[in-house]
Amino acid sequence: MTRHEQGSAASVALMLIAGGFIFLFAPTDALQGPVQRIFYLHVSAAIAAYGCFAVVLIGGVVYLWKENAAADRLARAAALVGLVFTTVTLVMGMIWAKPIWGTFWTWDARLTSTLVLWIIYAGYLMVRRLAEPGRQSARFAAVVGIFGFIDVPVVHFSVTWWRTQHPGPVVLNDALPPRMLVAFLITMACTLVLAAVMIAIRYRIEFLTDQAAEKVVAPIVAQTRAGDAR
Amino acid sequence: MRSITIALAVARKDLASEWRTREIVPALAQFVVLALVIANFGFQFDSRNAPAIAPGVLWMALVFAGLVAFGRAFAAEREQASLEAMLMTPAMPAAIFAGKALAAGLLLVICEAVLLPALALFFAVPLTFDEVSAVLLATVGMAVLGCLFAAMVAQVRARELLLPLLTLPLWIPFVVVGGQAVQSAMGGGGTATGSANGLLLDLDILFVVLTSLAARFVLDD
Amino acid sequence: MSTIVGTALTQRFGADVALDAVDLVVDAGEHLAVLGENGAGKTTLLRIVATAARPTSGTLQIFGLDAMVERRRLRGRIGFVAHAPGLYPALSAAENLAFFCTLQGVDRARVAQVLDLVGLADIARRPAGKLSRGAQQRLAIGRAVLHEPQLLVLDEPDASLDSDGPDLLMKVMRGRTAIIATHDHALANRLCKRTLELRRGRVVGVPTRLRVVH
Repeated sequence: MTRHEQGSAASVALMLIAGGFIFLFAPTDALQGPVQRIFYLHVSAAIAAYGCFAVVLIGGVVYLWKENAAADRLARAAALVGLVFTTVTLVMGMIWAKPIWGTFWTWDARLTSTLVLWIIYAGYLMVRRLAEPGRQSARFAAVVGIFGFIDVPVVHFSVTWWRTQHPGPVVLNDALPPRMLVAFLITMACTLVLAAVMIAIRYRIEFLTDQAAEKVVAPIVAQTRAGDAR
Repeated sequence: MRSITIALAVARKDLASEWRTREIVPALAQFVVLALVIANFGFQFDSRNAPAIAPGVLWMALVFAGLVAFGRAFAAEREQASLEAMLMTPAMPAAIFAGKALAAGLLLVICEAVLLPALALFFAVPLTFDEVSAVLLATVGMAVLGCLFAAMVAQVRARELLLPLLTLPLWIPFVVVGGQAVQSAMGGGGTATGSANGLLLDLDILFVVLTSLAARFVLDD
Repeated sequence: MSTIVGTALTQRFGADVALDAVDLVVDAGEHLAVLGENGAGKTTLLRIVATAARPTSGTLQIFGLDAMVERRRLRGRIGFVAHAPGLYPALSAAENLAFFCTLQGVDRARVAQVLDLVGLADIARRPAGKLSRGAQQRLAIGRAVLHEPQLLVLDEPDASLDSDGPDLLMKVMRGRTAIIATHDHALANRLCKRTLELRRGRVVGVPTRLRVVH
């Protein structure tokens, strides 16, 4: 098995363990019933998504500063994975909201900013596809990634200032019973490992793609240089 | 100092071109009036729901007029191949960007001078100082963000598609806060306009600083 | 000292190689003509030298400065006439030049001098968009020498010039290092001592010394 296959197997196993904690270890919520179990993966996926986008931000800043191709590849990989986790967050949130709030969607601050997050990074991936590959696409994407990351808290704040109904941060407020907290922390750790493994695999794919593009040219250049020497 | 001279020269050049060709402003003014006509039929507007609907109509018209104005500001430079000619000088890209954003923002302000009275006229809502100040403050931030991404998409394929995709999410804070301000100014209730304008000013400062830092990555090859 | 020293300049667009490991040395005051068919890589090479494009790989020094790093400093010393004139059609010829005076940071007095130089003084107030293609090209050439650049990069400047075009080119190239792309071998020989022929992104043969002018 390659390193990436080992990583995949390990993260699948970890997610199954997390599932065990969510369904077998954590108690059923007195008010919300079994639906509350969505919370563990929902919040973990959201944190993983924010983590991915933080990587996009850092990768973008490092690229603009040092023109380091690896930083750009890392940003590219993290953007895609982050988008996947944002999708998971949104879908699971909507499934939870239907029985609890009686509606799939409401224009609450956290929902709105998560949706905006999704749209911004979908735009990020579009820029990558439409800009000239290489320097231009890396620079433009870095700018989009930086503005996107800054805009999300701004959107969140501006909507909060207006109206909000999303549950507050229960974890930080110390409002979670101990067994639920344990299940949550384990799910979060496992999800973060999964995200890291996904980024590593995606990074490898981006690396090989870049290399393939490079290979088309390298031999021609080498050949011409040899010809000049003669 | 030199940067300010350059920014003003770029803005003056754009405004002079627009004054002579009258390409953008008449089309945009017509567009916003049409948007009001369509909204009137779309919303089944009457005198009771006007204060609730009018702010939304205002921001929809403004946002789409803005997309056209800012997209055009850089599309013209690209078609004429003059953007490159500007960049092939020692002038700071941030100064060139500031000039473009200033001119495009002013064109949108002219368009607002048509939109706001037309809204007051057709929808029988009051035209107040608070409403005007909120719209003008939002225009500043929308112009710098819109022009940054317009400069970007002018250099890539499928630019008509990409500009709204990148710009609209970043404009949401301006629409949320500005919309709130306009709503309360029109008597639809909500938070006091003063605090909304303060917030819009903060957003303007944030994005003016950020876009001027980012301009050179978007404009300089 | 050599004004331009480029080594292994390579430009690729996706899988297409537009310029393939081209070496380029141009001495101070030298005039070099770059010949070749359409698509041979002339424009790509000139855009790289003018700092309008960045090569995929290779190194380039102009006036001893690294052209990948000191781009803005170099731009004040290079005049570039690109394929498209890049003028503002609604502004007059004089206004176009005045605007670029501000960007270059040179005195407005240059406008009148340059209009005389390129022979547009009597139609200076006409909008650039209403000028003939040849007059637009003259204006673009005038703009390129507005700031008295030491290096002039001309991408097919003869394409739309009239019969006295070569004289104008000779006038603006005098006293400057120049690199000019053209199809026209006769023009190349008239303006330049040395030519470089490109074919499919590569240099054909060894750069040859042609006959000496002046």
